[in-house]
Amino acid sequence: MVSVIEQEDNAMTLAPSTARGAAIHVAQVSVSYPAGKTGRKVILDELELEIAPGEFVVLLGETGCGKSTLLRMILGQERPTTGEITVAGRKVERVSAACGYVPQKYSLFPDRTVLSNLTMGPLTSGYHILGRLKPGFRAFRKQVREQAMQKLERMGLHAADAEKYPHQLSGGMQQRVAIAQALMMKPEILLMDEAFSALDPGTRASLQKMLRTIWLETKPTILFVTHNTAEALFLATRIIVLAKQTTPGRCGARVALDLKLPDTGMSLKKHGQEFLDLVDHIELCSQGFEAAAELTANFEGNVR
Amino acid sequence: MARFSPFDIQARPNRLLGQVLSAVLFVVCLGLYMHASKVRHAENPEDRIVPNAQQLRSGVHASVLEPAEEDDYIAPEGASKWTRFQHSMIWKDTASSGRRFGISLLLFLPAILLALHIGLYPYFNAGFMRFVLFFDKIVALSLLPILFIAFGIDELSKIALIFIGVAPTLILDVIQMVKAVPQEQVVKSFTLGANDFDVTYRVVLRQIAPQIINSLRLNLKPIMLFLFAGEMIAASDGLAYRIAIMRRHMGMDVILPYVLWVALLLFLVDLSLRLLNKRMHPWFQS
Repeated sequence: MVSVIEQEDNAMTLAPSTARGAAIHVAQVSVSYPAGKTGRKVILDELELEIAPGEFVVLLGETGCGKSTLLRMILGQERPTTGEITVAGRKVERVSAACGYVPQKYSLFPDRTVLSNLTMGPLTSGYHILGRLKPGFRAFRKQVREQAMQKLERMGLHAADAEKYPHQLSGGMQQRVAIAQALMMKPEILLMDEAFSALDPGTRASLQKMLRTIWLETKPTILFVTHNTAEALFLATRIIVLAKQTTPGRCGARVALDLKLPDTGMSLKKHGQEFLDLVDHIELCSQGFEAAAELTANFEGNVR
Repeated sequence: MARFSPFDIQARPNRLLGQVLSAVLFVVCLGLYMHASKVRHAENPEDRIVPNAQQLRSGVHASVLEPAEEDDYIAPEGASKWTRFQHSMIWKDTASSGRRFGISLLLFLPAILLALHIGLYPYFNAGFMRFVLFFDKIVALSLLPILFIAFGIDELSKIALIFIGVAPTLILDVIQMVKAVPQEQVVKSFTLGANDFDVTYRVVLRQIAPQIINSLRLNLKPIMLFLFAGEMIAASDGLAYRIAIMRRHMGMDVILPYVLWVALLLFLVDLSLRLLNKRMHPWFQS
């Protein structure tokens, strides 16, 4: 395991604390909910995290460790109990167009065609309801539609699919459109919540490749939540593992592992045993914060 | 022909058998009616309780081609059937009931918009939800005397009765629809640059519009029920008023055509709404 990390010494190291101007900064964030008559259930415990612009970060962790909660807070859908989250230097207080978002399901508006789904963002943000009466709107709409058709083609869909409704597309096609829909807004930050989890392995692999290509071309900051360690290693330039604390008196998840990976991504085919060792290491780390700390303590320079 | 096996869940009647089965109860009812009419007319040829075909024909003629009251406009001798129909009893009553029905439907629009806001906006929810839940439990007909005292026996009290009877249920139904819209859709809309207005009217309302139409379809009968209650108690025209008047004279030859006419009207309104839904929301059919 150590060798794997050492061999990739140019990249595969503990993620350094980024400078000011982080795309996303999670500062001492804790989340807890009332549980029972007097107690509170702690989900996240004093989480500290910085994501630099252009990073492809994959958030891993076991079910219920707070990955999706963290994502929802970065979106502005939920508020931390304590601490603060800033996105592009601004404190997150409500959901806004600061981040693009691709959820696992219900990504597309079922009442709109594919084309209408794609154009909705730019048209809505560009011209609000009365603004559509302005003379420039038609030309703008035409331009947005052309962009949408290009994006559709770029995602591997046909022009004929533009007039279809989401229910007429397969799950994989729907997620391609969902990604295109988010990208139509040219987001600097893209949040993806288990976006490929419901897909079959083949479709999933092709979407992973497509997403990596998009990232390499435009380098948006991507925060991708998944359960799948292999997917994380293939996609990410940085993997963050959240794990629950098991020490009596402490509860809630913390960052158990923060690992920087090469920009080229990792796969079983290219990296063989090293890939498998890393999968093992990550999965062990995700089982508990203390166990992860013990494991990573052995790896000089890789402990956080 | 498929094997007749009514107690087999997995058995499917073929098309012909399905059509025959769906007609059986209608034929049985018609047969029973004709038999009852024959028996009663054998005892009393002037019987009006179960009118025979000839009595029904004259009842329909009186309803469709003759004016309701003696002082109503009487079409000239050679006037066309259409002209006579336009001044007939059934036309006058249908127009009166239809006006009340239409106004009530219009009043449901603000109720639906209120429900949309209650479902989406926490402040609206805090302010209105309990009040609507409370009002939903009040039996609307128990308010009828209060409405008559407060608004008089004119149109307002009848329309208020329909509104009070149906609106709370409709509002609660729409709130449930709004809540059923996946939160991901709302969040996604905001990330696509939508504002609150866009999310409310261009995302959520658009998505639940077909369900609202279906809810209105399901509420057509309650609407008519409250309309009939109001008209039967205090009105000078309307379909239910006529039925109530005819009951006093045991005018079954008019009551029965009226009952079927009301059913036909409701069927047509329901069909129109269904077709409208299909045309406007093709995506919803899936």
